[in-house]
Amino acid sequence: MRRLGALAAAVVLTTAGCAGAESGSAGPIVVGSVNALSGAATFPEASQAAKAVFDAANAAGGVNGRQIEYKALDDKGDPAAAAAAAREIVGGDEAVALVGSSSLIECEINAEYYEQQKILSMSGIGVDPACFSSPNIAPVNVGPFHDMTLSLLYGSEELGLTDICALLEIAGNTLPSYQAAIDEWSAITGKKLKYIDATVPYGGSDYTSYIVKARNAGCKAITVNPVEPDSIGQLKAAQAQGWTDVTWLLLTSVYSENYAKAVSNAGAGVYVPAEFYPFTDAGSPQNKDWRELMTKNGIPLTSFSQGGYLAAKYFLDVIRGIGGEITRESVTKALREMKPISDPMVGTPYVFGPGESHHANTAGWPVKLTTGTNRWELAAGDWLRIPARN
Amino acid sequence: MLQGALAGLAAGGLYAVLAVCLTLMSRLVRVVNFAQSATGMFGCYVAVFLSVQFGLPTWLATVAGILLGGLLSALLGWIVSTWLAEADTGARSAVTVAVLLLLISLSFILFGNKPQPFHPILDGPALTAGGVVISQVTVVTVALAVLVALASRLVLSRTSAGVELRALSERPTTAELLGIPAKRLSVAVWAATGVVSTLVVSIVAPSQSNDATSLAMLVVPAAAAALLGGFRRLDLAVAGGLVLGLVQGAAAQVDGLSVARYFLPFAVIVALLLWSQRKEVWDAAR
Repeated sequence: MRRLGALAAAVVLTTAGCAGAESGSAGPIVVGSVNALSGAATFPEASQAAKAVFDAANAAGGVNGRQIEYKALDDKGDPAAAAAAAREIVGGDEAVALVGSSSLIECEINAEYYEQQKILSMSGIGVDPACFSSPNIAPVNVGPFHDMTLSLLYGSEELGLTDICALLEIAGNTLPSYQAAIDEWSAITGKKLKYIDATVPYGGSDYTSYIVKARNAGCKAITVNPVEPDSIGQLKAAQAQGWTDVTWLLLTSVYSENYAKAVSNAGAGVYVPAEFYPFTDAGSPQNKDWRELMTKNGIPLTSFSQGGYLAAKYFLDVIRGIGGEITRESVTKALREMKPISDPMVGTPYVFGPGESHHANTAGWPVKLTTGTNRWELAAGDWLRIPARN
Repeated sequence: MLQGALAGLAAGGLYAVLAVCLTLMSRLVRVVNFAQSATGMFGCYVAVFLSVQFGLPTWLATVAGILLGGLLSALLGWIVSTWLAEADTGARSAVTVAVLLLLISLSFILFGNKPQPFHPILDGPALTAGGVVISQVTVVTVALAVLVALASRLVLSRTSAGVELRALSERPTTAELLGIPAKRLSVAVWAATGVVSTLVVSIVAPSQSNDATSLAMLVVPAAAAALLGGFRRLDLAVAGGLVLGLVQGAAAQVDGLSVARYFLPFAVIVALLLWSQRKEVWDAAR
C-alpha cells in the first residue's frame, strides 16, 4: 500500500514536472477542441478550418515566436467520449484554451469541468443550450435558439406571414430554450404561433401525419429546427400531399449545398437566417479571405467552417495582444477583458467578456431556397437583427 | 383522426411489403432477415450514386439498384445456405443482424452520412379522400403489398417450384434426399425478396427521410407486422402492416399519443408475443 502511495506520488511529481516544462515560454502553445468527428451527425469542418488558420499563423512565424499546436479530438457523439476528450486536452495536454469546438453535446457535458479548470472555450459552432448559458463557453455562432427567433421575425415581419406553426424536434433538454426563443419573438412582435408540436421525432421515417395535422390546422408557414435528412423528409411529405403554398422558416442547420441539391420542391420557399455571411454568395468580399483559405486547404465551404475559422481568428487577435507569458491564466484574463471584435462575416461583434453566460451574436443574413432552383440565394441586402428590448 | 390514419397509409403499405418479404423468408428459408430493408437501402444508395456520378437516367439507375439489391440478398442467401444449412433459425438470423450493421456502416463509409439527392420516381397526389390527399406513393405501396402477397401465394400453391419450396421449409433434409435442389431454390427466394424490398424502398425513399439508419431500421415495424401473422401467414402480414401504418398516422394527430407513436411497433411486438404465448405453461415456454 505504502509503495503504491510512493509510486503515485512519484507519478504525480513527474507529470507535474513535465507540465511545468510544457507551459514554459519555449514550447508550443497548446490549443484544443472537442468535436463531432464521427457518430450519427458529424461536423468536421469547424476544427479543420481552425487548424487551417493556426497553420497559416505558424507559417508566418507563430505568436510571439511560439508555434501553436492545435489538437482536435473526437467526441463520437458520446457523452463519455466527450468528457474524456476534454480531460485529455485540458488536463493531459495543458491547453491554454479551447477554440473552434463543434459538437452536439460537448458544452452540456464539459461546462462545469471548464469552470473547475479555469479554462475558456470559444466554440466554433455551439448547439446545445449549455453553450449559451455557461460562464466559460462563448460560441462565435448565433446558435439555434436566436436563429429560431430570427427565422420567425423574418417570416412574420419581412414576409408578412400569419398562422405560423412550429414543429420542434426535441433532443435532451432543449425544449425550454426553444420555447424561450419563441417567447422572445412573441414579446417583440406581439404575435403568437398557431400551435407548437414538440413531439416531432429526430430521424423519423415518414412525416406525412405531422404535415397533414399542420395543414388541417390552417398553418401557412412552418418553423422547424431540423437536421437535414428530417427536413427533406418533411418537405417531401408536404409535396406528396400537394401542399405547395406552405413557407418553411428553418435554421442554419439546413443551409448547405447538399440540401439545396436534394430539394427540388420547396413549397412557397425555404427561408433561413444564415448565422454567418452566406457562403453561397461566391463573389462576396465579406467571405473572400475565408473562402481562399478553405479552398487552398480543401475544406468544404459550410457554415461550420465559417464558425471554426472565425473562432481561430478572434483567438489569434486576442493572444497577440497579450504582453507577457501566454499561459492559461493570461489567455483567460485577456478573453475576459477583450474589446469587441467586428468582422464582416458576422452581424454582431464578438466579445467573450466576464458574463455568466454568452449569447451575444444576434444577427443572421436571410437566404432562401425556392422551388426548382436547387440553390440558395440571398433574401436580403443586410443583416437581420433581434431588436434589443428594455 | 381519419385523416391522420389515411396519412399513415403510405408507411403502412411499406411495412406490409417488407412484412410479406419477412414472412416468406421465415417460412421458406427459416430466416428472420434483419437486413431486409438494409439491403433495399443499399441498393437505393447505389442507384443515387450512379445517377449523380455517372449521369444515368433515374429509371435506369433505379433498375440497376434493384438488381444490385437482389444480388446482395442472393449472396447473403448463398452464404447462409452453404455454411449454415443445418443450423437453427436463431443462428441463421443472427448472421443477418451482422449484415444489417455492416450495410449501415458501409453506406456511411461510401456515401457519407448526409442525405442523398433522390429523384422521385413517383411524386405528388393521386386522389383526394376525406380531405386528405392520398399520394401516388401510397397507392403504389399498398397495391404492391397486396400483389406480392397474392403472387407468392399463387406460386406456393400452384407451381411445382412452390411445392418444392414448401417441402424444403417443412423437411429440408428429406427434401434434399428426394433430389430437390435446395440451395438453388433458397438463393432464388433470397434474391426475390431482395428485389422486392429494394423496389419498395426505391419508391418510398424519395418521399421521406432517407438517411441510411432510418431506412435500414424499417425492419422493426415490418417485423411487428409480420408477427401478427406469426411469420407464417401472408394475409395477416399485409393487414398488420397496413393497420400499423394507420394507427401510427392516427396517433400523430393526438398530442398525448404522438410521443408514443414511435414506440408503437415495439408495443405491438410485446403485445402479440404475450398473446401468442398466453397458453404456454412456465416449463414448456422456457
